[in-house]
Amino acid sequence: MTDQGKIVLLGCARSAGEAIEALAQAGRALPSHVEWVRLPCGSAVDELHILRAFEAGADRVMILACYDGACRSVTGNRWAEKRVQGAKALLEEAGIAGWRLQFRNIAPTMATDLLAWLEAFQEPEPAGAAAASSAESEAKK
Amino acid sequence: MIVAKRKPLAEIAANLKKVNKLLIVGCNTCVAVCLAGGEKEVAMLASALRLALRPTNPNLQITERSVERQCEEEFNAVLAQDIAEHEVVLSMACGVGVQTLAEQFPSAIVYPALDTTFMGRPEERGIWSERCAGCGQCVLDKFGGICPITRCSKNLLNGPCGGSENGKCEVDPQNIDCAWQLIYDRLKRIGQLERLLEIEPPKDWSKSRHGGPRKIVREDMVL
Amino acid sequence: MKSGSRLERILEAKLFAVTAELGPPKGPDRSVVERKMGLLRGVCDAINVTDNQTAIVRLSSVATCVMLAQAGLEPVMQMTCRDRNRLAIQADIFGAVALGVRNLLCLTGDHQCFGNHPTSKNVYDLDSIQLIQMVARMRDEGLTLGGEPIEGAVPLFIGGAANPFGDPFELRPIRLAKKVAAGVDFIQTQCIFDLPRFKEYMKRVVDMGLHEKCHILAGVMPLKSVGAARYINANVAGIKVPESIIKRLQGAGKGSKVRDEGIKICAETIQAVREIEGVHGVHIMAVEWEEAIAEITKQAGLLPRPEV
Repeated sequence: MTDQGKIVLLGCARSAGEAIEALAQAGRALPSHVEWVRLPCGSAVDELHILRAFEAGADRVMILACYDGACRSVTGNRWAEKRVQGAKALLEEAGIAGWRLQFRNIAPTMATDLLAWLEAFQEPEPAGAAAASSAESEAKK
Repeated sequence: MIVAKRKPLAEIAANLKKVNKLLIVGCNTCVAVCLAGGEKEVAMLASALRLALRPTNPNLQITERSVERQCEEEFNAVLAQDIAEHEVVLSMACGVGVQTLAEQFPSAIVYPALDTTFMGRPEERGIWSERCAGCGQCVLDKFGGICPITRCSKNLLNGPCGGSENGKCEVDPQNIDCAWQLIYDRLKRIGQLERLLEIEPPKDWSKSRHGGPRKIVREDMVL
Repeated sequence: MKSGSRLERILEAKLFAVTAELGPPKGPDRSVVERKMGLLRGVCDAINVTDNQTAIVRLSSVATCVMLAQAGLEPVMQMTCRDRNRLAIQADIFGAVALGVRNLLCLTGDHQCFGNHPTSKNVYDLDSIQLIQMVARMRDEGLTLGGEPIEGAVPLFIGGAANPFGDPFELRPIRLAKKVAAGVDFIQTQCIFDLPRFKEYMKRVVDMGLHEKCHILAGVMPLKSVGAARYINANVAGIKVPESIIKRLQGAGKGSKVRDEGIKICAETIQAVREIEGVHGVHIMAVEWEEAIAEITKQAGLLPRPEV
C-alpha cells in the first residue's frame, strides 16, 4: 500500500452517504487519510471540485454515485461519470496520472465494499508485472 | 454563434514559461454557451495550469476574470488595472475577443487559450456543428435553407458529387451529412425541386474572405 | 464538328467508341508514360489522363496529354476543380489546346483528405457543371469566364462524368440533364458492376431524350483480384462490386487465372452494355493495369479500331 496520501471522497448523499452512515452506526469509520465530502446528488459533481481537491493536496480522488436506475434525479449518476471522464482528461494533460481519479457506482448497503475499494486504490501494476511476479514466486517454491 | 474549443494544455503552457503573474479572462457569450471559455472554464483552466506548472513555475499566481463580451471595448474596460498588473493575459474568448483585448491594450501580451473554429449551432447538448461560412452573399433562398457553401465539403453549387452515399459525405461519413441530399429532400418537401434544374453560376468569391478582410460601415450610424 | 477530335469523329459516325485510362507516374519519369502509351496504342480511340486522381500528386494531366499528342495519340485531358481556380483552369486549357489536346473531361475532383497532402487548402472555385458551361462558352462564343475575347480558338470536345449508382438515385438523371444543358458533348460513367441498376438509369435517360443530346460511354473496370474488389467496396465511394462477381474471382483459382477471369468479366460487361439503348461507347478504367486493355478489347470484339 502506498504511503497514506490523502484520498478525497466525493459522493452522493443517497448512496455513498447512506453507506458511510451505516459504517458509523456499526461503530466503524473511514480510514483517517480519507476526507469525505457529501453531495446532494451525483449530478452535483463538478470537474472544478475534483481539480481543486488535487490542488489542495489530495493524492487520489474517488467519486461515488448511485447505480443506473437508482438515481433519484434519473441521470445524475451518468453525469457524474461524464464529469469524471472530463476531469481525468484535463488532469492527464496537467501531468496527474488518470488512475488517481476513480469513479464507482455504490448502493447504500455496500459499506464494506467501500472500505475494500479504498484499501485497493493504488497505482495499477504495469502489464506483465503480475505474471512475472507470480512466475518468480513459482520458481522459488 | 461562434464555436470554439480549448487548446491542448501543453500548447497553452508552452507560452507561459517563466510567467509568474497570469491573468485569465473568459467571455460569457458564445464561448460560454459552447462550454469552452466562460467563467467556469476559466476556473478549470486556472486550476489545471496551477497543477501543470507547479514544477516549473512555483511562484505562479493566476487571477481569474470574465466579461460579458470580450469583443466590445466597453466590457473590457474594467480589466485595465488587472492587465497592467499581470505579465501575460490568457484570453478564453474567441479569436475576435483575443484580438479586441490586444488592440485595446496594445502593451499587453495576450495569448489565446482556445482554437476558434466555426459559426454554427448546437445540435443537442454537447454537440455543435458548422452552418455558416460568412461568404458575404447568402444563397439560402435557393437551396431550401440549407447552405451548400458551408455544409458541402466541396462547396458545390450544383451538387451532389459522386461521393454522396446513403445521405453521407465521403469525406467523413460518420459525421458529415451530404448537404445535397439534405437540399434535395428539403426542396422536394417544400415543392421547389425545379430549383435544382437551374445552373447556379460561379460564385463571386470577392465578397467572401477571399476578397480580403471585410468591413461593414453603416454611414447612417456613424457621426 | 466542335473539335475535330478522333473521339468526336467516331461518335458522330455512330461507331461504338472505346476510351481507356492512363495513370501518370508520381513524378517526372517520362519512361512510365511512354511505356503506358505503348500499351494503349491501337486498342482504343482516345486515352483519358487522370488529374491528381484521388488527390495524390502525379505528373500533371496537361503535361502528360501533351506527351500523348506529340506521340500521335489522342488524349482526353481530365481536369478537376479541386486544385485550380478559374484563372488557372482557363490558362491550362489554353496551354493544352495550343499543344494539341482536343478532348476535356470536366470533373469536381476527390477531396484532398483522400490523398497524400490532406493538410492542403482546396480550391473548388468552380464545380464540374460550371466548368462545362465555361468551356462550352469559350469554344462556342470565344469568351473567357470574365467575358473577354479569347485570342485563338478553343476547339474542345467536352466531357463530364456521371454516376448512375450514386445517391440520391432520383437526382442522377436530373444531374445528367443539367450537364447536357450546360453543354456537355460526352459522358463517361462510373464503373458498372450492377447491370440492372445501370439499365434502369439508362431507361430514364432515354425517356428524357438525353441520349440524343450527348454520347454516353459506359464505364467498366477489370478486377485483378478478390483483394482489389474488396478494397473498392471498402474505400471507393460510389462503386459496389457485387458478391456474385467476387465469387467468380474466388472460383477462378490463383494469380494469373484470377486476372484472366477479371478480364473475361470486363469483356462480358462491355458486350452487355453495348446492347443497352443510349450507350455509345465504353470507357475502360484499368487502374495501374493498362496491360489488360488490349486483351479486354480483343475479347469484347472491339479490335481493330476503325479508321475515321
